[in-house]
This record gives sequence, C-alpha cells and structure tokens, in this order.
Amino acid sequence: MKSREQEYREIFIAEALEYYDAMSRHISELERNPTDEPALNELFRLMHNLKSNARAMGYNPIGELAHHMETIFGLIRSREKTFTGSVVPVLFTGIDTIGQMIRAVGEDEALPEVEQLLENLDRLVRGEEPILETGPEDEEDASRKLELSDLVYIQIRKLDHLLNLVGELTIDRDRVLTLSQEIGNPALAAAAAHLSRIADELQYSVMDARLVGVGSLFNKFPRVVRDVATTEKKDVELTVVGEDIQIDRNILQIITDALLHLVRNAIGHGLETPEERVAAGKTAQGHLTLSAQAERDDVLIQVRDDGRGINVESVRRKAVERGLVPAATAANLDDDAVRDFLFEPGFSMAKEVTEISGRGVGLDVVKLAIDSLGGQLRVDSTLGEGTTFTLVLPTSIAVKGALLFQLDQRNYAIPLMHTDSVVSLLPENFNVVGGVLLTRVQDENVPVVSLRRLLHNGDGPLAPATKADLNGRQDIIIVNYSNRRLGLIVDRFLRQQDIVVKPMSKPLDTIDLFGGVTLLGSGQVCLVLDVPALTRLFLAKRP
Amino acid sequence: MKNRILIVDDSFYMRTMLKNMLTDAGYEVVGEAANGQQALEMALATKPDLITLDVILPDNTGLDVLKGIRQEQPEVKVVMCSAVGQEVIVNEALESGATAYIVKPFSEEKVLEIVGSALQETGSEQE
Repeated sequence: MKSREQEYREIFIAEALEYYDAMSRHISELERNPTDEPALNELFRLMHNLKSNARAMGYNPIGELAHHMETIFGLIRSREKTFTGSVVPVLFTGIDTIGQMIRAVGEDEALPEVEQLLENLDRLVRGEEPILETGPEDEEDASRKLELSDLVYIQIRKLDHLLNLVGELTIDRDRVLTLSQEIGNPALAAAAAHLSRIADELQYSVMDARLVGVGSLFNKFPRVVRDVATTEKKDVELTVVGEDIQIDRNILQIITDALLHLVRNAIGHGLETPEERVAAGKTAQGHLTLSAQAERDDVLIQVRDDGRGINVESVRRKAVERGLVPAATAANLDDDAVRDFLFEPGFSMAKEVTEISGRGVGLDVVKLAIDSLGGQLRVDSTLGEGTTFTLVLPTSIAVKGALLFQLDQRNYAIPLMHTDSVVSLLPENFNVVGGVLLTRVQDENVPVVSLRRLLHNGDGPLAPATKADLNGRQDIIIVNYSNRRLGLIVDRFLRQQDIVVKPMSKPLDTIDLFGGVTLLGSGQVCLVLDVPALTRLFLAKRP
Repeated sequence: MKNRILIVDDSFYMRTMLKNMLTDAGYEVVGEAANGQQALEMALATKPDLITLDVILPDNTGLDVLKGIRQEQPEVKVVMCSAVGQEVIVNEALESGATAYIVKPFSEEKVLEIVGSALQETGSEQE
C-alpha cells in the first residue's frame, strides 16, 4: 500500500540523493578553485532546497544541518568567508554527513549524531576555529560506499513519445516480417523473427513503464469524500482497497473525472442521511468502498455504497416519460436493461439538483469516458441495500489514429498508417481490366474492390467486376501496404479519430482480416480492419 | 471556471507537493517549470491566472523571472515561495509586483489561504 506520504518520502529521498551527488561534485570543484562562483551558487541552491524539503517532510535534523551549511556557503558567496583552511574539512564532513542522513532516512535507521558538526559550523560563522577530530575517520572515508538512487522520475510526455515510437517500430517490424516471407531467405527470416521478438518485448516494457498504482488516484478520495459528505450532511466511512493495482497513467488520468462523479453521486444520491438510515434499520454511518482488482488483462474499479439502491420501477417510468422507450417495450425489459437507461444522455435520477452532484453532468459522460478507453461501465443495485458501479478498464493503451467509415450500417475503422487518401469517384472514372476495376490516383493505376464483396466472398475467387456494379458516386479509401495500393469501396466515410485498439476475444481472433476491435463514443463496437491481411486476401482472390 | 496555476520550483518534491495541494483544492495546474527559462516560456504559453514562483532557481533568480513575467503579463498574480531568511528578496519581489508570498516549509492550509486571497485580488473567482 502506497500512501501519499510514502510517495512524498520516495520522491524526497530520490531527489535528496541527487542533491547530495551534485553537492559532492561541486564541493570538489570548489576545492580546486575556491572562488568558483557557479559551484558556490549551486551548493547554496541545493542546500536551500534540501533544507526546505527536509523541513516539509519533518526531517528536522537534516533541515537543521542543511540550514547551517547554507549559511556558510552564503557567507563564502558574499565573500565574508573564504573556502580555505579549517573551513574546508568541516564543509566536506557536512556534505558527507548529509549523505549518511539521507541514506539513514531511506533505510529507516537512526540518524547520525551531528552535534559536534553543528557546533563547528556555528564556530565558523562566529569566526572561531572548529574542533577537528583526526584519526579513525580517514579509514571510514576510504571504505565509503558510493550509492546512486534507484528511482528516476520521467515526464509522461517522454513516455508518450516512447510509446509512439514503439508503435511505429511495430509497423516496420510487420513490414520486415512480410518482406522476409516474400523473399524466403532463411537467414533473413531468422533475423526478422528475432527483431519481432525484441520489438514485442520492447513494447511490453514501455507499456510497463507507464503503469502506476491506482493508489495515486485513490489517495485523493478521502479528502473528496470528507468534503462532499460535509456538504451533503451525510456520515460516510470510506474504505479503499487495491491501491497497488497497476494501470496505465493516461487511463487513470482519463477516468479521474468519471470516478469523481461516481463518488459524488454515491454520497449525494446513493447514501441516505443518518436519520433515514437508522429508520431503515441500518447503521447511521454510510459505507463507501473504492476498490481495484486485476482480472486477466483488465482492471476492475468499483464504487460501492450501501445506500438506498436504484429503484428500477422509477427508472422504467422515467425512461418512458423521456421517450427513450415505448411503454409496452419498457414493461418487458429486465432490470439490467432498465438500469442501462441511467447511462443515456440527459437521464438524471436526481429529484433536485444539489450543489455537489448536480452539475449538469450525467452518467452518460462517465460512460463516454470509459468507452473512449475501450472499457465498460456496469451498474448493479439492490433496492434498499446499495449500488455498485463497475469500470472495466484495459491495463494498457495503444492509441492509433484511424479513419472511420460505414458499410452495411456498421462502423469500421482503418488505421491511418495504412491509409493513403480518400476519394469520391463517378463510374466514368473507372476502367475494367481482366475483371478488376482500375482507377487512376495520382498518375498510378490502382485496383479498386468493393469491400463488401471482399469481406463476404467466401472461399472461391472474386466474381469479375463490371462497371454495372457501380451505382453513382463511390466513396473509396485508398490503402497502402508495402507500397501496394488498393482502393476499397465503402458506403460512407465517417471521420478521422484516435482509437484504442483492443485485441479480439477468442472466437473472433481467428478471422485475421480484423486487427482488433474498438468501442466508439456512442458505445457501438467498431471492427478495425487489418490492411495487410485485406491486401493479401485481395491478391489471392482477384479474378 | 477553474483558476489556472503555473508552478515554478526547481525541486521536483516541492512541485509535487504544491501540485497535489492545489489540484485537490480544485485548481487546475497548467504546468510545472523547473527553471527560469522554462518559467518564462510556460507563462507565455499557458497564460495562467496565478504563478507560484520559487525565489531561488538554477539559471536565474526568481526576482528576474518575476520582472520578465511582469513585462509580458501584468495581470497575472505571482505568489513568491521563499524560506526563512530571505526577507530581503521577498520584500524586493513585493516591490517588483509580486502579489503575495509563502514561507517554506508551508502547510496546505496556508498555501490555499494565500493562493485563494491572491486570486481574489484579480477579481477572478475561485470555483
């Protein structure tokens, strides 16, 4: 379990060790050139930061020593003292001691005694000679260990960049693999297979580096719950479970508002007032649980309250009132289907808008956020006993730019990396050569095929195309794979969009024409076409 | 509208703490700068309502950064972050147009109180 305190402590120690290394470097520079101004400025600044940070952490002995050291370096900088004589060994000892103290904090050990050192620093300030010990310390110096921090911090945009590069590498890996199969050279095939494994591992490692504990978000909630409960005059006990579960940092970022909304909702509408609870035979204090658990490749995040629960009949009535469903149909829907209306835009169960949860944002917005990640949002509830919202989220993301289009009223996506252009052509722009439609795109003859035919063709070769098949203006996506262009006739272009591609579940993943599946903001499932596979299929089946 | 804040401090630890405190309180932290150059660039790029500005920075003094920001953005509120013993610099900063100052080590309550009242002076309201 990693609380915010622990997180601060880790950051403090990592940064303090860095400061210590830099101080050691700068004081050596100062020894070579006692008036080295940049080194003095840095020593002063680092001591100053260490002092502030240590005091903020409550490590007062470190703060105290850093304060004394800062004072002396300040005096040297303002030329009231010089870095000569007995000043030198005292300041070296000071920096060494700082290193020991930081390591002691890191290992939960007792801090070294520093009274003598502080006394000496005071003496230096007063212009008196310090009391220097000689002897055994020298041996210790010789055996002193050099330690580097094993924690680095890195900006998320650098990791985003790394992930993008890995994404591009993956595309090239596929190209190389295909080329090696076409060429058929065993040595090349072996090298390509090795490259493929390394690229996979690299991708895995980069995704892994982006994972953070769910706790870094959960830890913000005790405060939120306290504030909301006070405003809503509810008595709420929050339990947090599974802070160690790992998830991509950007996913956590995207669900932050959704989770905030669900928690506010739970306190505002889910939980009853203490009086209502007692009257219903419950404890006066309501319980709210925020939990995370890993399930295969997914992370499940749940917001559970033991409040009044969702009244299915009232949702059913309201859905009919709002015209979301005809009354006759609504009467036959099961409870789960009825509760799903809660996620419809503008559907709010709040009788009155309260300051906390009534912000014009409904559960539909929560659902959109989860959908955009390729996740799912579910609700379970028992009247009088409570409600549980479950967010099913992918552990990792791989965002791709894609072109969305429609075919037979269904949505499909083609990754932009395989898309050359989109064109809209009239029948007279086509020629038929050997049963294949051809059109000129940028001075090149490009074969064109109806995607519907390609997908539903079955095992035999494609039927020869004729111009009679073309009815009016045709929307065509020109895809490009290994410098081979192919035009796909679709029903309608939709838009360009970043999508999160999820691998297909088991029975479907044998159909290799689809690289995965994504969920659109509307909640519709959208198949992602695998252009390499489509191109190969066309080449194999062309008449 | 959430008030937008830029944090300038050369310590990652300090930035993290400030960011957590401010985000928890409902502010939007639009950026974190670790030195004077970054601070000036990010102030221009993000156009924050308020900047927390550390007095001592690696490449520049907080005072120079303050003056640089004041030239371009007279309306932005600047809260200086200093430690005990820097009263002289703080005073100079206040004369150069800093809105308020916080003395490290600071408590969450103190930070929110000072940031809140500094924003009030702009006439813009905290959510």
